[in-house]
Amino acid sequence: MGKWYCDSGDSITVSTRIRLARNLEGIPFPSRMSVVQLQEINEKVVDALMSASDEFSKRLNVIKMDEIDDITARAMVERHIISPDFASNRNGRILVVSEDETISVMICEEDHLRIQVIRPSLALQEAYDIADKIDNLLSEKLPIAFNEKLGYLTECPTNLGTGLRASVMLHLPALESLGEISILAENASKIGLTIRGLYGEGSGSQAALYQVSNQVTLGISEKAALENLLSITQQIISREEQAIKRFDDVTIQDSVFRSLGVLQNARILTSAEMMKHISKIMLGQRLKYIKLTDKNLPIKLLIETQPGMLALQGEVDADKRDQKRAEIIRSGLK
Amino acid sequence: MLCDQCKMNIATTHIRSSVNGVVVEKNLCSSCAAQSGYSQFSQNGLVNMLAGLFGDSYSIDSSKPNMRCQCCKAAFSDIAQTGKMGCSNCYTIFSEQLFPSLQRLHGKTKHIGKIPANAPSEIRIKSKLEQLKSDLKRAVSEEKFEQAAKLRDEIKQLETDDNI
Repeated sequence: MGKWYCDSGDSITVSTRIRLARNLEGIPFPSRMSVVQLQEINEKVVDALMSASDEFSKRLNVIKMDEIDDITARAMVERHIISPDFASNRNGRILVVSEDETISVMICEEDHLRIQVIRPSLALQEAYDIADKIDNLLSEKLPIAFNEKLGYLTECPTNLGTGLRASVMLHLPALESLGEISILAENASKIGLTIRGLYGEGSGSQAALYQVSNQVTLGISEKAALENLLSITQQIISREEQAIKRFDDVTIQDSVFRSLGVLQNARILTSAEMMKHISKIMLGQRLKYIKLTDKNLPIKLLIETQPGMLALQGEVDADKRDQKRAEIIRSGLK
Repeated sequence: MLCDQCKMNIATTHIRSSVNGVVVEKNLCSSCAAQSGYSQFSQNGLVNMLAGLFGDSYSIDSSKPNMRCQCCKAAFSDIAQTGKMGCSNCYTIFSEQLFPSLQRLHGKTKHIGKIPANAPSEIRIKSKLEQLKSDLKRAVSEEKFEQAAKLRDEIKQLETDDNI
């Protein structure tokens, strides 16, 4: 398997993510634990993961978070491997991540264990199955905190029960410009789901990218939660497909090719501008106005030209970074 | 009212401090309050909106103010302030205080779903039975009778196994 953003294709669903929150019995949660207890958990979890006879343990890397710098940590957040909280509090923390970055286990983020699986396009069951397998493997070796009534016990009561947070990232340019996202969000909240914009302030999004995820974790099985999410995702996808038909073909083509023009020629591109135009390229691809030899290129460029990812290549200065971004995108879309 | 310190902005923060029995009261604007080190006030209010959820349970705790979790040493007031539990034992120790908030948070208070490998076998069997029974109900209501018959047999099997 490859990195999620290198295999996202040209569909409305960009990626799928599954996260399981787990804790160990008899040890305080991360916000109340001692350094000794933190080390104890680090060792136990790493041992359990690395000693697994399973094929996947050979592909796991153990990263000591306090040995990496801010830029590397930020780039990890941009690649969705770790949370912003885990990047800012790296003291004594350990991340176990697979080579292809499909699987990542954050040790002592908010909970003792945060198992995350991320896959390209719509793959809820596939991603859940991988996370489930890792969870089973860990629970065979570690005393996982569980209560018959409340399910998996978590630091924050909002995650009690299954401890499962499933989400899909969707590209919704038509629904966004028709102002229909807020209506969708309202409906989704009625069945325990939330919709929020990615890469933007508040509920908006710079690249028309939205994340739909489940909120309720207690009193609903994993299967039902995934089914709900899948069903609403499919409804949103078909609405987006309908919504785009309400726009005039030439108008869409005009905006798509204008954006292509900017991306192929600009010498300086800010992050916000890049995202706005990449979003149009994604739409152009979906409607078959643009055919790229590498169909994953737009989202790959979007992720690889995020500020932290560019800084990782040595472009720390903001002005130089905008030039470097333009250069990478120009050569990618040549 | 204007700020006592800069005398320019509207005072938004009232500070009453008592040092060795001497009470001093001040009315400050937000920037002077921040300069005097009181900026965390506004942050505390937003630290965790969840903490507000435990508000009404807090009064129950006042009858047992000294109760602390043996494992993590948290008192219920710590949980109420941060909205975060101290450890997994806290859920058992403070279950009475937590119950109303959990119900409001999730709408339900009974876990349905996966059970870890280390859970006792009776819990595993009980949960499996509950799951099968709810699947059976659904199959019947959706008129999937073939599937319902299979589920019924599976339930019977599990119940007899359990009795042995």
